[in-house]
Amino acid sequence: MDYATLIGQATLNGLVIGAMYMLMAVGFTLTFGIMRVVNFAHGEFYMLGAFTAFFTYAYWEIPFVVCLLIAALTVGILGVLVEGALIQPFRDDETSGMIATLAISVIIQNAAVLIWGPAPRPMPDIVQGTLMLGPFSFPWSRLVVIAAAVLIFVTFWLFMQGTRTGRAMRAVAQDKETALIQGIRINAIYPLAFGMSVALAALAGALMGPVFSVSPFIGLTPMLKAFVVVILGGLGSVPGAVVGGILLGLIESFTATMFGSLVSDILQLLLVIMILLVRPSGLLGQREY
Amino acid sequence: MDASSPTLAKIDQPHGIRRHGLPMGLAIAVLLASAIVIPQFAANQFYLHLANIVLINAIFAMSLGLIMSVGQLSLGHAAFVSAGGYISALAALNFKVPPLLGIVLAGLTTGLVAAALGKVILRLRGVYFVLVTFLAGQVFTLIALNWQSVTHGANGLIGIPAISLFGFPLATRLRFYYFALAAFVLVFTFIWALMRSQYGRAFGSIAENMRLAEASGIDVSRYQIIAFSLGSGIAGGAGAIMIHYIRFISPDSFTFSDSIAYITMLVVGGRGSLVGGALGSLFLTPLPEALRGLAGVQHILYGVILLGVLLFLPGGLVSVGRFFKRGLGRQK
Amino acid sequence: MIKRHKFAMLLCLGAGLSQPVSAETLKLGVLATLSGAGTAWGISMQGAAELAAEDVNSKGGLEVGGKKYNIEVVAYDDHYKAADALTATNRLIFDDGIKYIVGPLGSAPSLAVLPVTTENKAITMTMAFTPKALSPDFPFSFRPVIPTDIFSDPQIKWVAKRLGVKRVGALFPNDESGQQIAVVVEAAYEAAGAKMVSKEFFERERVDFVPLLTRVLAQNIDAFELDGNSPQTAGLLVKQLRELGFKGPIIRTGGDATADIVKIAGAEASERIYVHQSIDPSAPAMAAYTKRFEAKYKVPMNAFSPFFYANIQLMFEAMKKAGTVADTDKVRQQMLSLTGFETVLGKVGWTGQEQWKSNQQLDAPYYIAVLKGGVAAIVATCERTRCE
Repeated sequence: MDYATLIGQATLNGLVIGAMYMLMAVGFTLTFGIMRVVNFAHGEFYMLGAFTAFFTYAYWEIPFVVCLLIAALTVGILGVLVEGALIQPFRDDETSGMIATLAISVIIQNAAVLIWGPAPRPMPDIVQGTLMLGPFSFPWSRLVVIAAAVLIFVTFWLFMQGTRTGRAMRAVAQDKETALIQGIRINAIYPLAFGMSVALAALAGALMGPVFSVSPFIGLTPMLKAFVVVILGGLGSVPGAVVGGILLGLIESFTATMFGSLVSDILQLLLVIMILLVRPSGLLGQREY
Repeated sequence: MDASSPTLAKIDQPHGIRRHGLPMGLAIAVLLASAIVIPQFAANQFYLHLANIVLINAIFAMSLGLIMSVGQLSLGHAAFVSAGGYISALAALNFKVPPLLGIVLAGLTTGLVAAALGKVILRLRGVYFVLVTFLAGQVFTLIALNWQSVTHGANGLIGIPAISLFGFPLATRLRFYYFALAAFVLVFTFIWALMRSQYGRAFGSIAENMRLAEASGIDVSRYQIIAFSLGSGIAGGAGAIMIHYIRFISPDSFTFSDSIAYITMLVVGGRGSLVGGALGSLFLTPLPEALRGLAGVQHILYGVILLGVLLFLPGGLVSVGRFFKRGLGRQK
Repeated sequence: MIKRHKFAMLLCLGAGLSQPVSAETLKLGVLATLSGAGTAWGISMQGAAELAAEDVNSKGGLEVGGKKYNIEVVAYDDHYKAADALTATNRLIFDDGIKYIVGPLGSAPSLAVLPVTTENKAITMTMAFTPKALSPDFPFSFRPVIPTDIFSDPQIKWVAKRLGVKRVGALFPNDESGQQIAVVVEAAYEAAGAKMVSKEFFERERVDFVPLLTRVLAQNIDAFELDGNSPQTAGLLVKQLRELGFKGPIIRTGGDATADIVKIAGAEASERIYVHQSIDPSAPAMAAYTKRFEAKYKVPMNAFSPFFYANIQLMFEAMKKAGTVADTDKVRQQMLSLTGFETVLGKVGWTGQEQWKSNQQLDAPYYIAVLKGGVAAIVATCERTRCE
């Protein structure tokens, strides 16, 4: 394998995992930006999305696009319910809210183990074959992930910019008091924002399911990465999550290819500490969080 | 961090044991006396072992409560416990440092590391602090796993000596029990005294309203660092004690799920009271034994109890009495 | 409560009068991971204990020293944690009064538990590949599962010679088994005249191996070694290796993973894989055991299960010969004197003196198979030092 192929592989792979980190981090940062809730159960919704895709796609053989919609909808609705029942009571109490999401995470993960068992399940690829471009060979199954992630993000972005609800969400994120005065119904916005946030996580999980495999424990790593990304990009900043996600994916892929996995893991964490020292509000974040 | 979560400093502050006076003192004396006497008659080694774990877990939860008393939530508590364990174990194995000294060393080192970390993340409040303590825990596990020449990697350290007092090894469960009980009483008294000192008053006003405290001239960061390093140092020392009892440590011994377990004990027992952490440990440490054969249900139950307490009994088990009293008062 | 007790006592008296030989109960402990990621191993151990107990109980109990014992299995979950395993062990020994334990599972729990079981003379059957699990310091610790150290040399010699392998690459999980197996396997390839030119470790949670495999493949390897990875990881590695265009042979020196490899990577990608096979599934006793296990637990049988079953068979035989269940010293000695004893695995014996100064490692024949069309075909049968 020559140098160019190595770089090509590392770039493609970086973009694939970067796309996943991006979707995870956008959702994670959304809940924080709007609701001031740090959702430690975010990774579990990723896992639920992957399982939904597994059952709809691998078992019932529904077209994958429909599976994605089902995953986003079911997990999104679950998110709305969870917010209403278990997170809303802690609206003015950040610490209790965080502990509540920890508890939710524990419950969801262990319930998944109890119901579906701990063994990872493989999923069939969405598309077969590889794209040959000169010396490079890219599996279609991975290219599809990048395309789908971009599409999902663009849809999300248009929603936030173009619709009344999206604008209301951004208004709440910017200034809750003013938004209240303007008559925005926070009690409707919060569950919706949380539902959308976890639906993004579910979509990420559904997309990655066929590439890797599906088990109750797959949520931890993406969530950890989402933490790193939001610290890189700034808590609450959506553009920061996009840039940070793709950047982290590329950094991870290149360092792992060049220096191995351990160096890569340690470098990522060092990067976080550096950023925190130099620019605590993240690359694109605003100050005072 | 915010106004409404109950914390140690806030509730224990103005009215503490003194208000209840004699009955409370008597109750403590009776409790302590029975804690000393009963094990002499209970011969079952298994219950003794459980009692030992309860006592050490109580220290973990109480030290976490100390950190929470200034409105900070640490998700890296288990990492400090583990670090303390490794420090004392390595000191004993490589340099023949007596475990008793190793425990002190572990407490001091982890406390200093926490202080340094606190300095670095000085500007980080609330959420950032939580995320950084989480990531710091991950970094620690990575180091323990990969620094193989020192930590033996995933294989862990074996043959860690038991604590010995004046050449008298605490190798049996009963002897260790009295040591753990003494450590528990020591930590309990220390935190109790701290909360009644000027530090405790400062903690209290920070927990009450951080911005107000800052405005009234309290150096919030300084007190947060103090609470964080004291809490983490106590956890490190207790981790060392635990390790000299279990006599084995590996990177898997104390993980993120243990950090959550300590948080659960503290919240379930009662964040607002020093007794809370102890009570949480007393309730939750033996609980898995009822479910030892029932695979998998235990963690779910832990999660459900934690959520239930947060929602319906925010003061924790400690507040059950108060809860009823208030209910009766209303009826009258 | 009290009334019911009296009633029960009356019943017992009545029964005692009519039946002079009443069966006593012998408790067999299981200490294993029954929740979370390690459950498959835990079930394989619990299953072995329960099936062995069924065998004995259906014949009216185990006859030792003129008494009949009904076997009762007491299984505790250790959550794959050292402290939990220690607590469960304390409970097995002091609360349940158990002297025979199927377990512990995993290196960390084993190392934490063995001093206690040894001190209390409880016989254990460890499922951990750490070299420290067997030692003259732990005279009651037996190991039914066979670690890579025992078979890596003869097996790798055979495979390397047959394939003419010179440059090998490998990925290992950065945990206790990965770290140990890496050392053992690398030495075995050196001894066989090949070289491990690329060796990478990864954290257990990792699922994306493409960057690491790209790195390994850049070293122009002519074979890839899968040992030390969980069955599912092995499957993912095969899948991603083939996706990256690697066509050379893939070798799995230890641990049964064939089913998962084929399931995850597909039959087509699984050609040219040489696997270690600890059992011969076509042997009649093994086929019968597999069938019983899968009927009862509704999960595919893990290949470790029959090793525990065999060890329990040996232990029951040793109890009969010793004529006691109370004196574990005697049972231990009788068990060690059983060689060439016919079990579900075929004829088994003991080994390990050379490696660990403790002759308490179960010794059984093993096989090398190659995957063709998703099915493993045995190509060589091996005994302790050689394969043919």
